Amino acid sequence: MPLFGKSQKSPAEVVKALKEAVNALERGDKKVEKAQEDVSKNLVHIKNMLYGTAESEPQADIVVAQLAQELYNSNLLLLLVQNLGRIDFEGKKDVAQVFNNILRRQIGTRSPTVEYICTKPEILFTLMSGYEHQDIALNCGTMLRECARYEALAKIMIYSDDFYNFFRYVEVSTFDIASDAFSTFKELLTRHKILSAEFLEVNYDKVFSHYQRLLNSENYVTRRQSLKLLGELLLDRHNFSVMTRYISNPDNLKLMMNMLKEKSRNIQFEAFHVFKVFVANPNKPKPILDILLRNQEKLIEFLTRFHTDRSEDEQFNDEKAYLIKQIKELKSVHEN
Amino acid sequence: MYSRVAGEEGKSSIMYDSSPNSYHGMAHLGTCCSGTGTIHLALHKPTDTMVVVKKFYIDDRTPEDYNLVEREIIVTRQLQHPNVLPYLATFVSGHSVCVVSPPMGFGSCQDLIEEHFPVGLPEVAVAFILKDVLQGLEYIHKRGFVHRAIKASHILISSMGQACLSGMRYACEIVKNGRWQKNIYCFPSSTANNLKWLSPELLLQDLHGYNEKSDIYSLGITICELANGVAPFTGVPATLMLTEKVRGRAPHIIDCKLPKHAEHENTNDGDAGSSNSTLAAIGESILEHFSSRKFSESFHSITVQCLHRDPSNRPSTSQLSSHPFFKQCRKSDETVVDIFKSVPKIGRRDVDSAGDYGVAMSAEQLANLDLQSCHWDF
Repeated sequence: MPLFGKSQKSPAEVVKALKEAVNALERGDKKVEKAQEDVSKNLVHIKNMLYGTAESEPQADIVVAQLAQELYNSNLLLLLVQNLGRIDFEGKKDVAQVFNNILRRQIGTRSPTVEYICTKPEILFTLMSGYEHQDIALNCGTMLRECARYEALAKIMIYSDDFYNFFRYVEVSTFDIASDAFSTFKELLTRHKILSAEFLEVNYDKVFSHYQRLLNSENYVTRRQSLKLLGELLLDRHNFSVMTRYISNPDNLKLMMNMLKEKSRNIQFEAFHVFKVFVANPNKPKPILDILLRNQEKLIEFLTRFHTDRSEDEQFNDEKAYLIKQIKELKSVHEN
Repeated sequence: MYSRVAGEEGKSSIMYDSSPNSYHGMAHLGTCCSGTGTIHLALHKPTDTMVVVKKFYIDDRTPEDYNLVEREIIVTRQLQHPNVLPYLATFVSGHSVCVVSPPMGFGSCQDLIEEHFPVGLPEVAVAFILKDVLQGLEYIHKRGFVHRAIKASHILISSMGQACLSGMRYACEIVKNGRWQKNIYCFPSSTANNLKWLSPELLLQDLHGYNEKSDIYSLGITICELANGVAPFTGVPATLMLTEKVRGRAPHIIDCKLPKHAEHENTNDGDAGSSNSTLAAIGESILEHFSSRKFSESFHSITVQCLHRDPSNRPSTSQLSSHPFFKQCRKSDETVVDIFKSVPKIGRRDVDSAGDYGVAMSAEQLANLDLQSCHWDF
């Protein structure tokens, strides 16, 4: 691999060199430019060892194993993540690529890097707080989503207080950062079904009081994406008890009925998919039933006119017909 | 200014903020991404600079369309190169996602050809533009992407004459599951507008897959497009085009050598209609112009190399950059700006009414008036 002129550095050497360079960058002494250059160079070196390039193959497993071991022993992953903002634009992406590759490393069924990070959760918290900073937010997002694939790491993240910062991150005004944060947020709440069902059940009040703010956000994309995710969460059978709790609260029903007639057709449509759960519930609590009954005529008329142009969407039309029928029949229940 | 904003010192881009109120729409410039987006010239009020705002109205879009918009923006935001069009700021306004770019004074190469150079750009202009595009493309490949939509409409020219690549919407990542893939098999989700430029191996969708050399083929097609004023295979049915490409019948730039080429092809191959894929779309008078001009040998050779049927025989971006074709850039007295001096630049004088935003809004509101009129009784 004649990429860097002289003969190849060993994993221990390159990790040591990178660590020294990052330390110099952190100290911010006079030789910052030199440090910056050394960081970039060694990052590319490590990246090419792991991934190979268009011209060269990745290094043999034994070299990668040594490299990983050096990274754990030197605590370099945390150091890199903590100093991400000081590393140059391309170097930041290289950090993410190195991190993600090392994270995927497996020995049989074990994931040694995941085990390592479990003992160093600061890595995760530092990454999560990366969304506070424009210049590293997307890089941190790439690493966080890779971490979220592992249940053990997802668990540390959702059960931390920092998790609730996501409700702020997904609403920032810079679209790409908000979107990226939302993807991570969604991954954390949907990837590991049993983990997230348990989490939502235990933390129901706190999570849904925060979630309410997203549904009322002034940012159209936040409102639209959070409503869509809500529908997905409620309709997932793992979240049955969360769903039952959600559809028993008349405030939630009112919100959905208002969203049904929002200006945005997309939001109307997504609201329909949450609203239908309230109506389809065979054991409606009295406050829910009362609201539906009070608006029975209006709802029937409204739903009859609702998105009539979606004639080719069979499932939607079946569901709509079912809802109209259910609401019509509510009356007879009441009268009897 | 453009090189500063688009360039490596992209940190200066921080001055563009994500507040919709900072931007005042000035003029509608066109549409993009098959009608998903509209392009506006706008004034960034806090700095009193002109910018271009691309606006994607997403409310009536499918989730797949929305994801394409979102992905393009996130990918583009992570690229920083003087020859790749940057997104300086992104924000949500009403039911639209907006991205802010530096204004590209001469517009896209497709616009230039359509409006000012119907018989194609002069050779030296192609050389200058291609040189920039190769820099941008080399960066994109190094960062692990296959662009998959290199074409004249995705090459924008700044008023300083610098070419920038756009269109990352169609790009595909080379790195997957922690590995640098030697071959990619994933087919772009929307290709209808790019078929003419796509490489035979990508279109074939077979077990061999494709890699970043696919972009080099598209570049070859783009060279023909820039030189001839019309993209090869224009007006040719898609299946015939595919057959031609797979057989290795490459289009070429057309000059006085043309008749020989055409004859050669006709004798080589029986089907009459398939001879020169470009000629079908070109009128008599233009053909005459073609036969009176002469391109350099190196221009012909770079085109042929890019359009090689076998991807492994196509040069890489860095190999192409040292092609003798680019020698003329150093020798030329003219710059791109000189060549385009008769072309009116996009600028403040384009300002028409700012009414377009408002009109779109009210049409949108009208459509839903029906449902909004309902009042719930809580």
